[in-house]
Amino acid sequence: MNIKQALSLTLALLALGRVSADEITPEAQHAAAQIAATTCSTCHGTGGRNTSPIFPNLAAQTAPYIEAQLKAFRDQTRADPDAQAYMWGMASQLKDDAISAIAAHYAAQAAAPGHAGDAKLIGRGKSIFEQGVPDKGIAACATCHGAHAQGNGPFPRLAGQHASYLIKQMLVIQSALRQAPVMHGVIKDLGREQMLDVATYLESLGPSG
Amino acid sequence: MGAFLLLAGLAAPPAHAVPSFARQTGMACSACHTVFPELTPFGREFKLNAYVIDNIRQIKGETMERRETLALNSIPPLSMMVQISYSHTSKALPDSQVSGALAKDGDVLFPDQVSFFYAGKIANDLGAFMQLTYSGAADHFGIDNTDIRYARYLSQAEPDEKGASGSNSWFSTHDVLVGITLNNNPTVQDVWNTIPAWGFPYVASSISPSPAASSKIASIGQTAAGLGVYTWIDHSLYVEFSGYAAAQTGGVHPLDSQAANVLRGFSPYWRAAYEYHWDRNSLEVGTYGINASILPGGGHPLSGPTDRFTDTAIDAQYQYIGEESIFTVLATYIHENGHLDASVPQGLASNSSDTLNTAKATFEYAYRRMINASLGYFSTTGTTDPLLYAQAPVTGSATGAPNSRGYIFEFDYLPFLNTKLTAQYTGYSKFNGGSTNYDGSGRSASDNNVLYLQLWISF
Repeated sequence: MNIKQALSLTLALLALGRVSADEITPEAQHAAAQIAATTCSTCHGTGGRNTSPIFPNLAAQTAPYIEAQLKAFRDQTRADPDAQAYMWGMASQLKDDAISAIAAHYAAQAAAPGHAGDAKLIGRGKSIFEQGVPDKGIAACATCHGAHAQGNGPFPRLAGQHASYLIKQMLVIQSALRQAPVMHGVIKDLGREQMLDVATYLESLGPSG
Repeated sequence: MGAFLLLAGLAAPPAHAVPSFARQTGMACSACHTVFPELTPFGREFKLNAYVIDNIRQIKGETMERRETLALNSIPPLSMMVQISYSHTSKALPDSQVSGALAKDGDVLFPDQVSFFYAGKIANDLGAFMQLTYSGAADHFGIDNTDIRYARYLSQAEPDEKGASGSNSWFSTHDVLVGITLNNNPTVQDVWNTIPAWGFPYVASSISPSPAASSKIASIGQTAAGLGVYTWIDHSLYVEFSGYAAAQTGGVHPLDSQAANVLRGFSPYWRAAYEYHWDRNSLEVGTYGINASILPGGGHPLSGPTDRFTDTAIDAQYQYIGEESIFTVLATYIHENGHLDASVPQGLASNSSDTLNTAKATFEYAYRRMINASLGYFSTTGTTDPLLYAQAPVTGSATGAPNSRGYIFEFDYLPFLNTKLTAQYTGYSKFNGGSTNYDGSGRSASDNNVLYLQLWISF
């Protein structure tokens, strides 16, 4: 399966399981806000913005991506070590409508601010993000994640995300600890230095990219 | 007093990490612990929020007005801990019955301790950590550390939704958690690992001699009942005020002259701490203390003047939690002022006022939560008081000085997150006031050096 086919399949599968924002009842919205405030915020911070790179920022993350991940945690199909340690339990009792409401809640939050890093790394990372690494056959990240890394449907927002979290995710995807069919193919030849470059660039991006 | 010193010497530190929390939350031990029982920032949040985060099916009850009357875990958060140990002191202890003979050198306790826990949610916002422990050395089963608490948010910072104008009130921009704790050991309710109840060493030999003097805040656990209120603001500032009253188990009740070291009235306890987070680091600095009035009892009526102790402490904790490496630095210093208005007339102390200073510092390094090495330093200094620290073989002091000093080296191997194999060595350069012949019976401080091997399983 080539990357385009995998992309189409992923999009189709995610579309099947989605509940649109219009279907989320006010009660579910309220419950989601409560869960977010009392439970999720313990690690992910108020409004899904936090300072610990152990836990990802969720603010302004795309709703389809959050939905897919929460379902993967609940079904234990996302099985990287941190997913098992933290999120399998957290997602285990969530029903589909609650997942949709939580996803919509975080998608509506203002994005985390960017954090400037080493300009040299940022420059190299920007190049990888926008143009890929042609001699290794690595596609431009912007193709799926958006020109400003703002995310696109099932492809997550990366702008403003903690650099060390992004690197860890690339590593667990590369080592197949985390299943991500499209990303496996895209980053299989991405080196550690290039991961640092692109992650530093992404962390530096603010809400507007 | 001799009996009291012996008991003090035999008191092993508490040791806890409970899989019932994992059962309730569905989260691995590593979410709340670096290497158990030391807490991570998330573990501290879990405890301050009253142990109620749950991810298992609930048995619910509601009134017609939709008020929740029951939210009970469908599986009770129960767990068990077993510790098996071997202790070997540098020089064998005297035989308890035959003068001049020595006890067996090297002692296996199977078990050293067995504990049963209820640890988790009781209702929404209400949770408990309750422990019953059987001690192998004492052949005794009794109440151990217990902390029942209620907590809820007074306010939470409003999320900053896209395009929302937002409110400007202080409460709309701050997370303010408030809680009530009912517990049986001052500092057991605390969430940092600097304080006596949860400080290093987390385990120690229960049969080797330990220094006679310890601060009151570290020695009245399980003989007191405390009720307190706390607040946790913006996940950074912790402030607590509590009060402790006598709550001894066993013996004659109501308490009378047969009981010893009985708290009189309500002893105030305070705690303030600030924790700052950056990247994978957290740094806490704080203060805590207690003002305790104590009736010596032990054959004397529980009336009249009291001994009054004021313990004032400072502490600091640094934690770095990396993907593979975890560093922790723990430090605390406790200064105690004692006014012995009851002990002096009863012939239990020589001075009308004494001071006692205890200091501890620990450096820990863990690799992949599988291998852990710790190095600790401890020191106790204070006023010489020949009656309070009386001469006695092994447990006493020839000079009447409480001064002790030493180090602890510990190596742990955790094949699983809930199984720990420990090799610990405690060395003393000074013990109860002296380095050589500290007890007047020819024993040296280093004779009490102890190698302690332990298997600790929690399930």
